Amino acid sequence: MRPFEYHEPKSLAEASALLCALGAGASIFAGGTDLLVEIKEELRSVSHVLNIKKIEGLDALSFDKAEGLSFGALVTARRIETDAAVLRHYPNLATAVSLLGSIQVRNRATVVGNICRASPSADTIPPLIADAATLSIHGPTGERSVAVEDFFTGPGRTVLKAGEIVTGVHVPPPAATSGKAYIKHGRRKAMELATVGVAVSLDRGRSGCDEIRIALGAVAATPIRARKAEALLRGRAIDPALLAEAAEAAMNESTPISNVRASAAYRRDMVGVLTRRAVGIALEARP
Amino acid sequence: MKRLVSMTVNGEEIELAIPPYRTLLDVLRNEGRLTGTKKGCDVGDCGACTVIMDGSPVNSCLVLGIEAEGATIETIEGQHAGPDLPHLIQEKFMDHGGAQCGFCTPGIIMMTKALLKENPNPTESEVRFAIAGNICRCTGYAKIVDAVLAAAEDLRKGRTL
Amino acid sequence: MTIHQKPHTQDNLEDGKRQFSVVGKSVRRTDTFEKVTGLGKYSGDIELPGLLYGKMKRSDIAHALIKNIDVSKALALKGVKAVLTHRDVPRILHYGSPHPRSASCTRDQYILDDRVRYWGEGVAAVAAESEEIAEEALRLIHVEYEPLPAVFTVADALKPEAPLIHDNGLDKNNVMPPVVIRRGDVEKGFAEADLILENEYVLGRPVPGYMEPNVCACQWDGNGKLTIWSSTQTAFMVRGILAEVLGVPYNKVRVIVDHMGGGFGAKQDLFQHEFLCALLARQTGRPVRMEFTRKETFLGGRTRHSGKIRLKQGFKADGTITARHARIVLDGGAYGSHSPGVTTVGTSALTSLYRCENVDLEGRAIYTNTPIAGAFRGYGVVQTYFALDLQMDEAAERLGIDPAELRLRNAVRTGDLAPSDHPVVGHGLEACIRRGLDEVDWKAARAATAAQPGGVKRRGWGIGCEMHGSSAYPGIKEQGNAIVKMNEDGTVTLLTGTAGLGTGAHTALSQIVAEEIGIPFSAVQVVTGDTDIVPWDIGAFASHTTYMGGRAAQIAAAEVRRQVLEQAAPLLEAAPEKLAIREGIIHVEGANRSISLKEVVSPKRGMPAAQIVGVGTYSPTKSYSFAAHFAEVEVDTETGEVAVLQVVPVHDLGKVIHPIAAAGQIEGGIQQGIGHTLSEDYVIDLTNGRSLNPSFVDYKMPLSMDMPPIRTIILEAAPDPGGPFGAKGVGEDPIIAIGPAITNAIYDAIGIRFRHYPITPEQVLNALRAKQKEAA
Repeated sequence: MRPFEYHEPKSLAEASALLCALGAGASIFAGGTDLLVEIKEELRSVSHVLNIKKIEGLDALSFDKAEGLSFGALVTARRIETDAAVLRHYPNLATAVSLLGSIQVRNRATVVGNICRASPSADTIPPLIADAATLSIHGPTGERSVAVEDFFTGPGRTVLKAGEIVTGVHVPPPAATSGKAYIKHGRRKAMELATVGVAVSLDRGRSGCDEIRIALGAVAATPIRARKAEALLRGRAIDPALLAEAAEAAMNESTPISNVRASAAYRRDMVGVLTRRAVGIALEARP
Repeated sequence: MKRLVSMTVNGEEIELAIPPYRTLLDVLRNEGRLTGTKKGCDVGDCGACTVIMDGSPVNSCLVLGIEAEGATIETIEGQHAGPDLPHLIQEKFMDHGGAQCGFCTPGIIMMTKALLKENPNPTESEVRFAIAGNICRCTGYAKIVDAVLAAAEDLRKGRTL
Repeated sequence: MTIHQKPHTQDNLEDGKRQFSVVGKSVRRTDTFEKVTGLGKYSGDIELPGLLYGKMKRSDIAHALIKNIDVSKALALKGVKAVLTHRDVPRILHYGSPHPRSASCTRDQYILDDRVRYWGEGVAAVAAESEEIAEEALRLIHVEYEPLPAVFTVADALKPEAPLIHDNGLDKNNVMPPVVIRRGDVEKGFAEADLILENEYVLGRPVPGYMEPNVCACQWDGNGKLTIWSSTQTAFMVRGILAEVLGVPYNKVRVIVDHMGGGFGAKQDLFQHEFLCALLARQTGRPVRMEFTRKETFLGGRTRHSGKIRLKQGFKADGTITARHARIVLDGGAYGSHSPGVTTVGTSALTSLYRCENVDLEGRAIYTNTPIAGAFRGYGVVQTYFALDLQMDEAAERLGIDPAELRLRNAVRTGDLAPSDHPVVGHGLEACIRRGLDEVDWKAARAATAAQPGGVKRRGWGIGCEMHGSSAYPGIKEQGNAIVKMNEDGTVTLLTGTAGLGTGAHTALSQIVAEEIGIPFSAVQVVTGDTDIVPWDIGAFASHTTYMGGRAAQIAAAEVRRQVLEQAAPLLEAAPEKLAIREGIIHVEGANRSISLKEVVSPKRGMPAAQIVGVGTYSPTKSYSFAAHFAEVEVDTETGEVAVLQVVPVHDLGKVIHPIAAAGQIEGGIQQGIGHTLSEDYVIDLTNGRSLNPSFVDYKMPLSMDMPPIRTIILEAAPDPGGPFGAKGVGEDPIIAIGPAITNAIYDAIGIRFRHYPITPEQVLNALRAKQKEAA
């Protein structure tokens, strides 16, 4: 592994200042499961590693029926995966997290890290977009909040500015009649990068689908919302024909690429199948 | 610019001078002279380097050695009680054919230990889920799963990990 | 000392009444405690004071002349101790593989050449004080290439204007010597056929994926002797080729292989790093270790041969095969490696499995600028039996015969000519098929899949069969050797040259020795893996370790037993042939007199007893193991995903020495075969020859959650007179039949015949759509 300088900032302010001072070669290190691979495979030139694990207050996880779910930048994927509240109220997130790498990886990887890596195929992002989650960001000029949906600008690229650090995630509370699902498509049952990921979060409410958000992974430059598909379903009693129409819409909203993992055409096809299946599961789900 | 790092490995406190860019895997194998932990891919895809760090199984290839400051590390070398005295899980891997070439075995045994600590009564699919990140290319996994389930059965009979 | 080799007679076979005390029991493996405790030393674990770290610079172009290599910056880097390029190493053409001068391999490699022939070929090597410095040195080496036109497919390599990759090809083209087999009258056979099928089968490019990346460590002593610890299946071949290329006598190269993390055939080759590591160590006067990264095991490793097979067969209405015509074209990659051997074994396999008197077969391997194809479990037979067994299924349907029944009617049996031109012994294939049909209740299972209602998920059952030779004869004249020494406390030491690449072979050999002498398994210690100590062995490959090495051990043990009984006879006042050894006690048959073996061989009145040593040498001819695999699959017709729900493999091994180890071979082979068929493919960018998926994330091997339950059944249906107690090989067999079984099961599920592997979800989905369109 290419040598780097190592820092252990004790506060967000110190970390932020270091990021500003060290420039482009500096990188935040939390779980390290992506960063170390990128350094080893020389995908990224990193001259300074800033381990933020010594910063207090970033490892909290809390759930409240009124407030929803909040967790800090150091909360590991495995902790989310096994948290009783997440399993009960956010099954889409719990499923997505359980499909990220192995248990060994999830014991180290953080969900915030998975988000900040900004891979279009990241498993944790679609459910968070579907659930309208927001990110708390600490920067040189103060704090700000950004919707997960608006966080990404391209593969590996985000709206983070120099010196900014994502400190946590907030997910709104689930509705009483919520239904959520995440389906990942890959060639294996584990240790996969999603060829397609579809997350659904809906509120059955009175109509059967009062509100719905659908997020797609690995089929565009960033994870995206399938807004046209949502619009078709929102406020409607969903039958198979309508669902098929929505699935078709989601396919048309995706702009996948072809690579060694799958072709664009197949990815688009799977958006249709998985959207239909995920909405079906979410409609059936009873929290 | 090496740093002095002290950690407890298999119950023994050790102090090592290591550069910050060296992984825990390389530190254990080189500076720590514990070569039982294997390097199969070095990027977290194969699980051969699994060790238990502060109670959790991790890929030691994705941990920096200096992060182990103050940590408790369990490796494969610390599991048996002495010559001819295998750990329960090791005994089951020996008797059920759970190890063929053996290169994945230390990682799978450490993962199994972590699993059984958390869930002493796993189903077959829970076993398969737990070792999903441990690649074995020799066995087809059947005999590994047999070995893990046999260890769990002995736990139910009162043996301990 | 006597060299004692039993002739090939039926009397080596047991009559079925013998009570075995050690053979046939799953004793605890000799090497397993070291494996489960992490105490076992693999080649990368060897600690050497003053160790330097070696690394290889690999080409980032597929075909080019090296105009210049500037290593000055690398040499100037602090901590760099040596840099080698093609200018600094002996320029000797060598066999990249372990069977020098055999027909199996080509002699077309240099340690480093002034030309690269595939993307990822080594062009320089460095040795440095740390791994990080070595890596940095590689970045500082600047290579100036003059690109040459390159070919990445067989079709392009065969074009008249294709660049020559080597100048040793036949007729100055890229074709390695073809294999031609003709028997009977194919024209006549086709004329007599009621049904003729002709199809093309396309083969993917799987890789072995062994868990231990290639690694070696080299150290020269003050007397100019090299010790190399290497992860190799063929220690004595490494010794021979290294000695010749380095210009030292054989007794100045010592190869040590203690534990080994898999090889699956590919680690028969000598890789560039093994030469370079020895040279770096010699130049620096320090020990050097070179270890592949996982990515390098893909780039610089060996793949299975991809290619195409055109197969045409004629059938009579009753299922008799009247003629078989095949043209096999394999992609050998940039160097020959095992291409000639793989082509020969794969092509000749098509003479058999299903009887046919009229065959016309041609196999060719072609050089391309892609990674080297080499030896890999199944060695050409995976490819050709995939074609053969798929076409059998199709023929069965067209003839209105149950596919298993068609196989039974045509199964080779005793007296038929095997691919090696030897007569087949017994009815192993038939026995495997029949046992499997019972086990899965074939008729009911197929009736159920035929009657299943339409739905998103559809299930199917399929069958595949195979036979594979134990030993590489007649392609290679092999030999196994063993020495068994009696110790004065009645224990014995077995010295064997065969490599323990992970199969449990050393345990099987120890069991054979214990059984043959009549002592407990615990009384045998096995010494392996050091060419300075153990007798010569050709290496662990071709499913011959238990068959050949085991037989050599049995012969050596029998000699020890003979000498022990000779010494015991006067003490027991009985003729040696009246004596039997059981559990280390020598009994007079029919009388109530006995003496312990220890008493016979221990010192008497302070005088050491004469040393008892047996040497076994065995040069096998050929034996064939058989198998039938039955697989159930479920196809998701919306996503095209295929899940294997269960596999029932039935194998005839003649005599099983260690049931758990044998079953482990079978189950592991099935895992690799499922991967080959459904998910594994090493993909090359056809525009530049670069590898697109050199990692465990993108090269999709089935993992714990992907593997179905496997109900392994081992038969001792057709013991072989050449093997120890009738035992035959098992290593390669299980990877062969599973592919056809799955592919035929997919047909049973969705009515679509795929004639290639791997079969991807996308292809399944597209085929389902095309079928729907056709129906509409």
